[in-house]
Amino acid sequence: MVEIEIQDLSVSYGEHRALRNISLSIPANQIFGIIGPANSGKTTLLKCINRTIDFVDTAKVEGRVSLGGQDVRKVSSVYELRRRIGMVFPLPVGLPMSIYDNVAYGPRMAGMRHRGQLDALVERCLRQAALWDEVKDRLDMLGTKLSGGQQQRLTLARALSLEPDVLCLDEFSIAIDPVTTMKIEEVLLELGKEMTIVLVTNLVQQARRLAQQTAFLNNSELVEVGDTKQMFTKPEHELTYDYVTGNIG
Amino acid sequence: MPDPKTNRYQYFVSRRQNGEGAGGDGSCEHPLPSVRDALANIAQQHGGSAPQVKRLAGYDRVEIFALDKPGAPGQPGRAPRYEFYVDPLGAADGEGTGTAQRPWPDLDTALAGVARLDEQGSIPLAPGEHMALSVREVFSATPIDRRRRRTETIAGIVCGIMTLLLVVPLVLILGHLVVKAWPALSVSFLFENPRTSMTAGGIWAPLVGTFYLVFISLLVASPIGILAGVYLNEYAKDNWFTRIVNLAVVNLAGVPSIVHALFGVGAFVLFAGMGESVLAASCTLAVMTLPVIISSTKEALASVPMTFREACWNMGASRWQTIRTIVLPNSISGILTGVILQVSRAAGETAPILFTGAAFFLNVPDKGLRYFLPYSLDDSCMALSYHLYVLMTQVKGASDEQIAAGNAMPLEHLQYGTAVVLIGLVLAVNSVSIGLRVYLRSHKKW
Repeated sequence: MVEIEIQDLSVSYGEHRALRNISLSIPANQIFGIIGPANSGKTTLLKCINRTIDFVDTAKVEGRVSLGGQDVRKVSSVYELRRRIGMVFPLPVGLPMSIYDNVAYGPRMAGMRHRGQLDALVERCLRQAALWDEVKDRLDMLGTKLSGGQQQRLTLARALSLEPDVLCLDEFSIAIDPVTTMKIEEVLLELGKEMTIVLVTNLVQQARRLAQQTAFLNNSELVEVGDTKQMFTKPEHELTYDYVTGNIG
Repeated sequence: MPDPKTNRYQYFVSRRQNGEGAGGDGSCEHPLPSVRDALANIAQQHGGSAPQVKRLAGYDRVEIFALDKPGAPGQPGRAPRYEFYVDPLGAADGEGTGTAQRPWPDLDTALAGVARLDEQGSIPLAPGEHMALSVREVFSATPIDRRRRRTETIAGIVCGIMTLLLVVPLVLILGHLVVKAWPALSVSFLFENPRTSMTAGGIWAPLVGTFYLVFISLLVASPIGILAGVYLNEYAKDNWFTRIVNLAVVNLAGVPSIVHALFGVGAFVLFAGMGESVLAASCTLAVMTLPVIISSTKEALASVPMTFREACWNMGASRWQTIRTIVLPNSISGILTGVILQVSRAAGETAPILFTGAAFFLNVPDKGLRYFLPYSLDDSCMALSYHLYVLMTQVKGASDEQIAAGNAMPLEHLQYGTAVVLIGLVLAVNSVSIGLRVYLRSHKKW
């Protein structure tokens, strides 16, 4: 049960302001959608949650992000924080190692060595990501040799391998076909019952299908946040209405 | 008449014909009497399917000029009064009007069309004016394309010749060396020590010395260089300090080797108290090879995509875990290639070892363990490059009697033999590096 609280978050890359005074509260164990046009700061927001923003030298972060009441700036181990948060980015990244090693990477880096445990874990994650049936006979194949859609599911399996409390998906369906997307969406609906999912998406209909609550970011600012149904039927802002109905963007 | 440079075929027409009556070949001096005659001429030259015709290709143009009197072409630079087009894909219904939008489908239709317009009198040409008929064939080269293709061919040939010019000296040098050295080359030449004031025997002692120097210098330079490269590419933030370090690395690579030698004398021979020794010479070589090892390491690391690192960081891996599990395994071959290339450099350089540890001549035992390991770290040693220098400048050749008696070799044979072994060593090492690179490419994991 981990909810995410974001208070007055501002991020700038040098001169460019990527986020301006964002305050959001993302409730535990449901799917939270974030929609908005390109360059509106969605990815930056995710990077602040698992603090991979630290790897961007030029980024300046103000404000507070807390997971389950714990400020992410003040956690004692940032690695443990990242292990609790699964991340899937727009372009699939198969690491240049076998499919098995791809999924087992996180647990191994966290110190898990027991072969039997790893075997079970790899199978569970690949099943969850709807990839197991396609790769179960060739787990020693290079992950980079899989097709784009398969690699994206491999990325999802890897993100699930540490049994995270929070799963962040950044436009995960951009590089994959609609059928695979639907498969993964079903998986997400199932997962959403037991973990907090932050779904950043370009497809407003995807947010409508999956998310209980949705936030709309535009031009580095939070325009509106609320119940998904209401966002898509009676939004408070005209901008939101234009965006979700396809009049802009 | 055709002008191949501009893809233009020009026909001249004049009603006032110097009283010659019918005739003329359509040239400026002997114009045809009417446009109709010109069209008939064109049809004969380019139309139909007769074997002798010169068919018009893409972007060829036929122009009909009206002349005031023969030999006076008016203003040739002016745009045509009327322009017609032929384009097989142009008109959807198979017939056109000759305009750019609805061109005629082929030349015969076009000629007939122009003739009809001429009969109706709707395309009168005043003297000095002309009409043009352009053929636009499908997928054909424009005049610009053709010029570009010519330039392309010339550029290819010039670059190819330059490449050949590069290969020729190499072949000549190698050939010259091998031919000159041939009498000296044998197994015993490699494995015997120099004898009788270096006029007989082989090159074992300097060969082993070169191996010593190369091996120890790489032992010193590789860990420092590779780890520094890892720091600069993986850990260092982009700030003024990093930039200065990078600048220093680049500039260090450009320092002349004799300056390295001087530094070696100061730092290792004198300050560190190593004396003129294998160790001092190796360290000097190491300093010389370091910058290139650092740069090639950085380059190899940078070729690993950033997304791999980000994926690992997102899994909670630390920087070092990421480097160890993803970055290094996928760049090690590139790093090794860079290191191996430095072997040949270290083996070939003379200047850095000149004052720091190279010996003019050392007596090396001909058998026993000391035959294989003749030098200790604080000894000076012989080296191939310096040995060659000594043979060229310091050794007096053996007398003809000695050579005739089989006690000595002609000096020239020794010199060229040494040179061939040195260059052979370098080429062999380089081939290993190339082989590694080829293997690396064929085993790329993404």
